[in-house]
Amino acid sequence: MVAPIRLTVPGTLLYRNVAVRVVAEAARLVSGSDRRDPNDLLSNDVRHPFDTAVVSAFMEIFNNVAIHAYDRRGGGAIELAITPGDRELLIELKDHGKTFDIDGVEPIPADLDVASLPEGGMGIHIAKTMLDEVTYEPGPPNLWRLLKRMPEKLSA
Amino acid sequence: MPNPFDITRSDGETSVFIRGSLDINTAPGLAEEIDKIVASRPKKVTVDLSGLDLIDSSGVAALVKLYKGIRGASGHVEMIGARDQPLAIFKLLRMDKVFNL
Repeated sequence: MVAPIRLTVPGTLLYRNVAVRVVAEAARLVSGSDRRDPNDLLSNDVRHPFDTAVVSAFMEIFNNVAIHAYDRRGGGAIELAITPGDRELLIELKDHGKTFDIDGVEPIPADLDVASLPEGGMGIHIAKTMLDEVTYEPGPPNLWRLLKRMPEKLSA
Repeated sequence: MPNPFDITRSDGETSVFIRGSLDINTAPGLAEEIDKIVASRPKKVTVDLSGLDLIDSSGVAALVKLYKGIRGASGHVEMIGARDQPLAIFKLLRMDKVFNL
């Protein structure tokens, strides 16, 4: 493990894309993936399965913190510690907002049809399914810990 | 923030092209347009996702709202061009089969 990349942003959705770009670049450090256009540093270019998993999960957890911990009003910060490893990436998010009932999240129905297509409640399911580990420790501060390992068969 | 979508209408058909990121910041704008599209009761809606790079659960929810609204009015929805991260999300949520992606 190297020293973590640390970033603190206001806990509102306005700063979400800043955090997502940093996380995406950290994922690329682990996966070794390339951008489709190396000169377009502001593109949302996430293609490698490892990058896809990390970014998809992170977006959902950031949304969760901004919406549930800070009630979409901000007033606090989200502290990120992103630690790229040899073949894994650890992301820790700390907030000082309200705690979240992660066990109260309803699962996605097993058999989907038009009527049962969910219009909400998918975020935690996405994060848990995409990552190897998702833990939440209620605070203060509340701590989300996200870990994604890169399978041996995945390479850039 | 510019809208990440273009909407064109002609003879009972509506086409929606989505680009960039459809997420918690941009999906509400699309949801407003979806209400208008559903209210116009088109026979067919084509959603072109070939320009879509990133989607989150809010973006998925907006597309589900469109799909349900149009199907509920006996219309047809065709989603085309999903790739990369958005396609992975639809597969994870098992919506690729429902949307026939």
